[in-house]
Amino acid sequence: MAESENPKDRGKKIDRREFLVGSGAALAAGALAVGVPGTAEASSEKVSYPKSKGYLVYDSRLCLGCQSCMFACSMTHEGVANPSLSRIQIIRDAPSFTKYPYDIVMSVCRQCVSPLCVQNCPTGACHVDNENGNIRRIDQSKCIGCQMCIKSCPQKPHRTIWDSVKNKSTKCDLCADAPYWNEKGGPEGKQACVETCPVKALKLVTKAPPQRDIDGYDVNLAPPPRKTGFPGMEFPKTQPEPEAKKGGA
Amino acid sequence: MANGYAGKILKVNLTTKEISVIDTTKYEEFGGGVGMGAAIFWDLAVVPGDWDLQDAFDPRNVISLMSGPLAATGVPGGGRTSVCGIASETFPTPLFHRTSFGGRFATMLKLAGWDGVVIQGRADSPVWINIINDKVTMEDGTRLWGLDTFETQGKITSAVVGRTRFGQQWQQIEKDYTTALPQIVCIGPIGESMTRVAALIHGSGVSARTGGFGGVFGSKNLKAVSVIGTGGIKVADPAGVVDTRLWHTRNFPRIMNVTPGTSACMPCLNNDRRRNSYYGGESMCADEYWYMGPQKPGQMFGGDPDERMRGADIGVKWGICTWATKFGGAITLPVQNAPAAFKGMVPMEPGMGWYIKYLYEIGVLGPGMQIDSYPLPMDQWDTLKFREIFCDAIARRVGIGADLAEGFLEAVKKWGRLEEDMNAGTLRLPAWGASWHHSLPGVDWAYSYIFMSGDPMWHGFFGLNAGGFGGPATYTAEELVEMMAKKVVPFDGDPIMFSNSWKGEEARRTGIYSPHKAKMLAWARRYAGFYNESMSICEMLLPNFISSGPKGIAGPSPELEYRYYKAVTGSKNTLADTIEIGRKIWNMERAIRVVAGRHRDQEKFAPFMYMPGATFPIGGDKPVYLGGKWGFENQNNLFLDRDGVEQFKTHFYKLEGWDVDTGWPTRKTLEGLGMKKVADIMAGKGKLGA
Repeated sequence: MAESENPKDRGKKIDRREFLVGSGAALAAGALAVGVPGTAEASSEKVSYPKSKGYLVYDSRLCLGCQSCMFACSMTHEGVANPSLSRIQIIRDAPSFTKYPYDIVMSVCRQCVSPLCVQNCPTGACHVDNENGNIRRIDQSKCIGCQMCIKSCPQKPHRTIWDSVKNKSTKCDLCADAPYWNEKGGPEGKQACVETCPVKALKLVTKAPPQRDIDGYDVNLAPPPRKTGFPGMEFPKTQPEPEAKKGGA
Repeated sequence: MANGYAGKILKVNLTTKEISVIDTTKYEEFGGGVGMGAAIFWDLAVVPGDWDLQDAFDPRNVISLMSGPLAATGVPGGGRTSVCGIASETFPTPLFHRTSFGGRFATMLKLAGWDGVVIQGRADSPVWINIINDKVTMEDGTRLWGLDTFETQGKITSAVVGRTRFGQQWQQIEKDYTTALPQIVCIGPIGESMTRVAALIHGSGVSARTGGFGGVFGSKNLKAVSVIGTGGIKVADPAGVVDTRLWHTRNFPRIMNVTPGTSACMPCLNNDRRRNSYYGGESMCADEYWYMGPQKPGQMFGGDPDERMRGADIGVKWGICTWATKFGGAITLPVQNAPAAFKGMVPMEPGMGWYIKYLYEIGVLGPGMQIDSYPLPMDQWDTLKFREIFCDAIARRVGIGADLAEGFLEAVKKWGRLEEDMNAGTLRLPAWGASWHHSLPGVDWAYSYIFMSGDPMWHGFFGLNAGGFGGPATYTAEELVEMMAKKVVPFDGDPIMFSNSWKGEEARRTGIYSPHKAKMLAWARRYAGFYNESMSICEMLLPNFISSGPKGIAGPSPELEYRYYKAVTGSKNTLADTIEIGRKIWNMERAIRVVAGRHRDQEKFAPFMYMPGATFPIGGDKPVYLGGKWGFENQNNLFLDRDGVEQFKTHFYKLEGWDVDTGWPTRKTLEGLGMKKVADIMAGKGKLGA
């Protein structure tokens, strides 16, 4: 796994979900190909953009890995149940049995304060939508499928995604344009993923979380324990477990 | 192909190595899941007429892993995988059985473009099936043979996706991408050695336990099936699916602790995916109860949760059926008039493990004794080490393990104790050698045992008591049954069917032996056959009949599941139509069982069900109709009457259109369901009801 070649990235905190441009793990013989797309050529110079008025934060310890959000995302945006087209990815490591809480990775678009996807789009398809609370979104009618937004996303896995049906990129728009979502979306509305999450592990906030690492986004959303029908049982029993979380929302 | 289906079913013949495709449309009339699985079993295993269906390990056995149309569409709990075929675990003979497992297997199968996998034959040497979208291969499984289920899934994952760094990469499959890992169902060493107590394991605890299908995999030299897919499923009304979900979660408080997950059964029972909590993570109650520490006063579940989950991991890794090999269950309670072996305190689920200890305590089983316990360390019965040695002995068929590998009651029979301990009520297995599971009170569950192939695994009516699941009752018995009577189309309008009177003439006229109760059971089998077993919705999630919301006591069922069905498939079927499809599925299963030898005379309970002490006292107070009035009654002393059960059987067969002397479906019944070809074959075998 190659590290970023950009000198500006040196010294940045690297956590378990390392920040990286591009990907390219070695493949085992006969295994599937990995990653979209190739090496990093995108600019990561910081350019100023108006901040989004909405951000999705999440609690990876609360998440059950049920994929409700993924199906809701693809259903409301594309009208089809297809997790590969979901702008939010919940990745669960059941067969390899990684220990809790690292057995689930929640891959959620950060609506970055400095959005490299927007900055590196050559056609303006990936843009800041001033009419919808400055969300970072992609106008597929302008997308030429160059995948620069994907290549330049600093997250792993990249949050901009490739729509192989339309051969264009797409990304989270906080449901501002979700044709099959019967609620008002966008940063001032409701999001399908948030509304369908059975354990409320996703939440929309209006203040930009700290951008340095994942801690600003992966926050403690656990509700207070509540009584159940079984004596001596409450859930969540104790939340969260190992170390206390830094953030809050 | 209708919305909700992938459109094709994979058929793999392990003997001929032929991989072929069945058009799902051919079986669409059976809904999905068990419905399709049973119909395919009929066509592939019964119609050829060259097999008597008596040996689960015969290569001609057809085992299917089927999804339903709601899988991979975002419907909560709709992603279970149904499994059916001739089971190895039932007693005294193998029987056609259906079970299921949660997790993401069915979802991934659909995303790869398949509604199910049908497996027949036997491979020359160990293999595993590798499904990557449309590409299907049989891979060499020699180096996986002998590995536990965790190791197996790890090795297959590496083989399929290489050195992918979990959670950090998209993987490319042809022109598509996914962040997911392959979903795998496999067996452990217990299944490889063709024992009758082996489960199919998926992930870290999800499994198909009842039926012993792990041994069937082993008999086929099949170690695992792996699938990864990148496609999508078209649904009729995408917004409708999401809106239905929000209608449910915004209007109906949860009953029990079931959380509506999406792709299937994640750790939804208590909203906590950690493996040290109640129903730890993917594991379910049978795994967690398999190893229990001593129960302390006031503690519902014995032992330390971490220890319990370490015990669960042992069972899951070996791939043992923790259901069939129960050591006692979660709790032990005083039961009045219980058989002598229990000394007044009955464990919830006294299975194989409990019985071994019982024989040890009465001096029959032990080192060098009448039943030699070698290699089990009987002085360490309540330890994790015992569980390890227990599994190892069964898997390698060492010492007493060779007896236990053939199944609980087969071992008891070999030891010469079957009749004695059955008649004494020591063996609390209601029917067909299946473990106790909420069989009494609430007789619909018990009756399902005898008419099916053991445990129905259906909690639908279990909560119909004072307070539902937990908490004080906020409704009267009359309110409860009147609400229920509106929900059970086409038998609606008869609240008497929910009465549980069990004594005297009232039991025969309005209670548990009455024609009214036959309607309740018939509805349960039809609903479950369609919605739980073929639409493959988790039966712990739905049906949900009772709510405690501001709108009254009525829960969202069956409107909720019907709305999902309509939104996904776009079908014009009415709710009554769907229940009727359930009847068709029920009769398809019945036809297979009858061809395999089922007769009215066999549909009987184990002796303990007719004896005082038959009920395990956690069912709560049940509604009863006595002297023209409704009320709740504590039924902790309930036991069955032999003549009453026979009377009930006659009512039930009549209602189902089955011959009352044999229990066989009649031609009129089958043809009325569009199953003339099935009737013709049964007639040819002399098994058609008069």
